[in-house]
Amino acid sequence: MSIRECALQSKAFAALKDAYDNRETAAAKWRAEGKKVIGELGCDVPDEYIIAAGMLPIHVYADPDRPLAETNKYLEYAFDPVVRAQFEKIVDGTYNSQIDALAISNSTDVIIRIFLYLRELKRVEPEKPVPPIAFIDWLFTRNRMHQVRNELTLSLFKQTVEEWAGREISDEDLTAAAKICNADRQALREMAKLRHGDEVRISGSEALVIIGSAFFMEREAHTELVKQVTEDAKTWPVIDAPRVFFTGSNQEDTALYDLIEDQGLVIVGEDHDWGDRYYDRDYNLSYTPICAIVDRYMLREFSSKKAFVSQRVDALNREVDAAGAKAVVFYTNKYEEAASWDYPSQKQSLEGRGIATAGFFQMHWPIQNNENLADRLAEFAGSLKGGAENG
Amino acid sequence: MADEKRPESKSSAVKKLKATAAASVYQKQWFAGLKARVDAGEDFGYLNADVPMEVLCAMDIPYVVNQWWAAICGAKRMTRKYFGLLRDAGYRDDLCSYCATAFAESLDPDDHKVDADGKPLGPWGGLPDPTLAITRLTCDCQSKIFELFAKNHGASFYAMENTVARKVPLKWFELAPDRWEELYDTDRIDAGVEELKELIRFLEMKTGKMFDINRLEYVMNLINEQEGWYRKTRDLIAACHPVPVTVVDTINAVMQAQWQRGSEWAAVHAKSLYEEVKALADAGVAAVPNEKYRLMWIGRGIWHDFSFYQRFEQKYGAVFVWTMYLAMGADAYIRNHVEKDPLRALAARYIGMEDFLHMPPWNNTWYVQQAAQNDIDGVVYMVPENCMQAVEGSYFIKKALEDAGIPVLTFNADPVDARKWNADSMTGLVDEFIETRVIPTRVKRKGE
Repeated sequence: MSIRECALQSKAFAALKDAYDNRETAAAKWRAEGKKVIGELGCDVPDEYIIAAGMLPIHVYADPDRPLAETNKYLEYAFDPVVRAQFEKIVDGTYNSQIDALAISNSTDVIIRIFLYLRELKRVEPEKPVPPIAFIDWLFTRNRMHQVRNELTLSLFKQTVEEWAGREISDEDLTAAAKICNADRQALREMAKLRHGDEVRISGSEALVIIGSAFFMEREAHTELVKQVTEDAKTWPVIDAPRVFFTGSNQEDTALYDLIEDQGLVIVGEDHDWGDRYYDRDYNLSYTPICAIVDRYMLREFSSKKAFVSQRVDALNREVDAAGAKAVVFYTNKYEEAASWDYPSQKQSLEGRGIATAGFFQMHWPIQNNENLADRLAEFAGSLKGGAENG
Repeated sequence: MADEKRPESKSSAVKKLKATAAASVYQKQWFAGLKARVDAGEDFGYLNADVPMEVLCAMDIPYVVNQWWAAICGAKRMTRKYFGLLRDAGYRDDLCSYCATAFAESLDPDDHKVDADGKPLGPWGGLPDPTLAITRLTCDCQSKIFELFAKNHGASFYAMENTVARKVPLKWFELAPDRWEELYDTDRIDAGVEELKELIRFLEMKTGKMFDINRLEYVMNLINEQEGWYRKTRDLIAACHPVPVTVVDTINAVMQAQWQRGSEWAAVHAKSLYEEVKALADAGVAAVPNEKYRLMWIGRGIWHDFSFYQRFEQKYGAVFVWTMYLAMGADAYIRNHVEKDPLRALAARYIGMEDFLHMPPWNNTWYVQQAAQNDIDGVVYMVPENCMQAVEGSYFIKKALEDAGIPVLTFNADPVDARKWNADSMTGLVDEFIETRVIPTRVKRKGE
């Protein structure tokens, strides 16, 4: 199935796909106009601050074809392959020529180490072309003490963004940026109804493009295109296939979703940060700015890394129900270990509720490095279809 | 596995120190006493090593430290069984061995049983059921494992947050004892104090015991006394050529008492360790009479094969004189002037524990300073196989030491899981390192 012809014929989808496929284009244009671009590593960097300061946020992403000459020198092998490939582009100078600064959030333990290594690299090998760095030290456990601490942390980050921008961020600037981000999130939620509703008209791969293009283009333009593609998609054919929820590693491209959906399944939701989780929870405009920022990033749905097992079990149940999925694919890359401690409890809970599961762990990246993956997925798809046919 | 081929210990030091034997005897007695208290209905805490156990000590809540217990399980060769249980329960059996050992044990239905001869099947009769399981969020997996462990035991789970240092003055070991306000970001210490207050409230509510700040001050002063003896011991060993004891004695003597820190026994024991080492030094006793090369061990102890450290003594005169276990006690724990604010002093201790060991530049600058103080000729660095918490910038550690002229051997191994350890190949690796790098570097450096 992958990305269908009906989608490619949509001008709005084609524009989003162009941004998704050509990830440096918007940033280069932005910089050519004398404006600044901020790279983001980790999924908890508040775009609102960067947009409020008149800068363009873009996501750091991995290049599967690039040799890891620098990474192999600096990182232990226990870092997961996607982060390794991201690190290569940060250290080899690629991003130094594309962004003005790098904001890192402690969204996983691995990314915390990346920050520590980059800081040390700047100290001992200052000639390395690493851009200026800021680190956001969120506390994700949910209590008042940590909410207060996060307010301090985010006020420090705001100061850094102001230094990068060369100007202060007023409350009005922030409110305006928050409205832009909320509008984009709302547009994506409307789009998602065509995945989660009774009739599925947008495939998982198509959704990844629609969502992920936000990471590489100006946000208001993204919102308009998402609205247009949502209108277009209302006329796209209904996808009649077993509905699957995807949990696990971030998917920075559509390759794995293509492979899953080529087996006759449709991915109707996911919990990773290049999918549904990106647009969960709004900036609450009735709160003070600092409280609204903390609320949005601290209290959205639990990530697979920074949450306890019991929280992850409940979260996955909620998300699977909301997406109307009948099965769940667990898929994590090699050395991306935290979620493996959640898996047995999640599997038990899901299967107790009649949701089928399939687990794929210690997977190589990129996906073509895995032997028999398509066969294993086909077998799972066959079991779902057989189950459906058998009533 | 090469267990059967493992050479016998060749070091006379392993039988020499009374303090090491005393610590072994004491910990068994202490554990038996702890089990009796738990059997009598007292609350019992199971803590990760970086949890400020001083609070539980001050409140007289019995506790066991996860890393100590994992080492006991490893030494009792339980890991093969335990990790099989993990696999059977649907978990990976190749992850987080240090932190997952006790969780795996909690899956063992035989843990508290005895065999036909009345011999306990679990290590030391098995871990009593904790009522409290407390960890810090210093890695993504640890909190998940602790929560699972707590559920299996019916314990209350509690997690303390961790913050990342913005300010990283290089010589932390000079600032830590008296000038910790300069060492840390002020707001980090503030947050650490708030975490302590929350922990105290949790413990008061759970146990019905009151936290007494005066008692904490007493505990903190006892710890300063204990760690002060470690500092004197470390400095003494560093100054001795040849050393009177090797790491085989100091690791066990210090580790067992370190997890008892805050007790009168631990302070007295640390003093006795110093006095015993001092007496040996004064008498000119050498742990390895033909000492030629002094080795530093970076990483966790190889709990399942301690004799590894002694395999290079007779052949090369190569002696492991340094591990973090004694040196951390010497440099990382002391916080003077506790009376000004015991909670703040405690915060200034526990918030840095992981950083000193696992965060560049604090770890690598300390290793270089310690290598110089201990006249180290070579460093053997075990990079953990399956622990993101202990991923610590091995490139920067190796670079800093080698830039200082000290050769470094790095290899991957697991401190707990004997299944992955091949004694012969590891010994061969160090043999080659000594022959091709340590000896030539020493010759070049000192003209010997």
